[in-house]
Amino acid sequence: MTPFLHRVRFHWILLLLAALIPLLELVLPPGWHFGELLRPIFLMAILGLGLNILTGFTGLLNLGVAAFMAVGAYSYAILTCDIYPFQLGFWSATGLTVLIGLAVGLFLGLPTIRLRGDYLAIVTLGFGEIVQDVLKNLDTITKGTQGINPLPPPTFLGYAFTSEKYQPWYYLFLAFLAIVVLLNRNLQRSRVGRAWISIREDELASACMGINTMKMKLLAFALGAAQCSLAGALWASFLGSSGEPGNYDFQISVMAVCIVIVGGMGSIGGVLLGALVIMGFSRIVLDNFTSFLKAHELVSSTNVLAAPGNWKYLLFGLALILMMRFRPEGLLPSRQVRAELHPGGKSEARNP
Amino acid sequence: MNLLEIKTLTVRFGGLTAVNTLDLEIQPHEIVSLIGPNGAGKTTVFNAVTGIHEPTRGRIVFKGAEVCRPFHWRTAASLAFFGFVTGNILVFAANIEALWEAAVTAHYQYLKPFPWREAIASVFSYFTANPSAHLEWPLGIGIVVGAGGAYAVWRQSRRAPEIAARAGIARTFQNIRLFDQMTALDNVLLGMDTQLRSRFWHDALRLPLFWREHREAEERAMEMLRFVGLEPEAHRLAENLAYGLQRRLEIARALAMKPQLLLLDEPAAGMNPAETVELMQLIQRIRERGITVFLIEHHMRVVMGISDRIAVLDHGEKIAEGNPQEVRADQRVIAAYLGKRMRDE
Repeated sequence: MTPFLHRVRFHWILLLLAALIPLLELVLPPGWHFGELLRPIFLMAILGLGLNILTGFTGLLNLGVAAFMAVGAYSYAILTCDIYPFQLGFWSATGLTVLIGLAVGLFLGLPTIRLRGDYLAIVTLGFGEIVQDVLKNLDTITKGTQGINPLPPPTFLGYAFTSEKYQPWYYLFLAFLAIVVLLNRNLQRSRVGRAWISIREDELASACMGINTMKMKLLAFALGAAQCSLAGALWASFLGSSGEPGNYDFQISVMAVCIVIVGGMGSIGGVLLGALVIMGFSRIVLDNFTSFLKAHELVSSTNVLAAPGNWKYLLFGLALILMMRFRPEGLLPSRQVRAELHPGGKSEARNP
Repeated sequence: MNLLEIKTLTVRFGGLTAVNTLDLEIQPHEIVSLIGPNGAGKTTVFNAVTGIHEPTRGRIVFKGAEVCRPFHWRTAASLAFFGFVTGNILVFAANIEALWEAAVTAHYQYLKPFPWREAIASVFSYFTANPSAHLEWPLGIGIVVGAGGAYAVWRQSRRAPEIAARAGIARTFQNIRLFDQMTALDNVLLGMDTQLRSRFWHDALRLPLFWREHREAEERAMEMLRFVGLEPEAHRLAENLAYGLQRRLEIARALAMKPQLLLLDEPAAGMNPAETVELMQLIQRIRERGITVFLIEHHMRVVMGISDRIAVLDHGEKIAEGNPQEVRADQRVIAAYLGKRMRDE
């Protein structure tokens, strides 16, 4: 990391660069279109930021964020799909979905928030499985394993998004991501974020300072869940389908945990970078690499290398182990740590 | 009037009696020290006063009221609310498929306008058809479980540390417990948290209230840091401060809570003589701000130098109390610290 990166707020640079990528395609030859592939990365970044509130700021390990995402995706699907009577537009449905996510976060948080560490992680892991099973078996409402589809595309001021042009989608998701980043940053550098981080650092001392730790943890749960369900709603609108319940399995939750850990716990720029690295790796590098292998017949189609899904998690596991060994604070550790490395940047260090 | 009254306090951990029927009163603007050999139960007294340990027997009265969450009408209202919500969730969960079929599947025809009125009417008739199974049982169970669970949680958290903190009791810890990954300034700002009124939406949206409080709080926090002589270190991480500075920062953080009573748990531990003298001056200055100080300390120079009154604890029991001269001369205190003379046995 160069000193330059330490002084400028990294998450804004990343977002600005992301905003420029579709413009780059005007000059680059066709076949160099990365923008299309970046869209799911934005959604995973929103999911990662939701988890970051819980795990990164407050120190509550949640292994079931995919459940919140599923709640978001299915709520959005039920609210918009024309096989149901609600048939709301994109914006009102997304707004309602965020509120539903908030309520589900509170619903899960209230009885479990007194658990600590590993126990909470196990409860959230169980919650993730329960939500999948409920969605599978409640087939009068959720259509079971078919998923709910087709969903109408989003509209913005009368303009309908289509699958042919990806740029509107790209900027829509980027805008959502930017708003989420802004809100998270504001929360982080204020009374709430301070209380969250103090709970992560030392819960007892925090309580002795008069922080209502239960309330703050519950707030983290609700806001984290709301963000994850926002990611779910956008994901459903993007796919044009709620997807099937099995799509929101443990692997998604682990992916989110990887994003937060690799990027740097409690650092917003780190989570964005983590999403780029992890998702970029699995969606772009691995996919291209395996299709390259196949195209040149370097491996037979039965070879384990031929399908990226087969060995993706092997590499993730390896990456996590290496991360923990050599850079436990993440690729882009949070601002306090950086501020300490560069005491000259005084205004940088003012807030967490 | 006494600021703090510890009445027949007993704290047991299993078979071990850490504190046994301790009575102690602290008047406003006093500096009172609690001393005693290791394991005498001094920190346990602090933990009981700040709500970390539940007293086995006895009461902690601060400013004339017991330090625990009172049963307010709002408590009753929120218990009822939790019961009601849980009941409704249970009703919903128990009937969701049938409800959906009665309300949506029966009335909705593809792309035709949805008859909301009829759907709601069917929901009502669904419940009135078999009220005991569809409504009353799940609602009743939910109310009992929800309100009961909420009550259990409330009971357990009656004597939480935050109650003591909000009442006006601040403390430091024997083994420093700062928020290591936060800057010194943020540590102090956290101590101020109870005085801030902005809610999370003010913070998230940066509404005017946030900015007003933010500026004010930061100024006051810097003033606090100046008071303990930490201003130049404001933007350093707490974990990177020198040991003596960490001790001071902990005091600054506690002072930021605007307490009436400050509990200092061995503030001079590990300090060199020069730092100890500075600490004594600091404690005097804290008293001048109108804050009562309750102190656990092993450094006899500190204890004898600044205390108005000293209480001596041994094996959980108070063996002496009085001004420094009295305590110094007390035979039982000497025995507890140095052991009894063989001849006396």
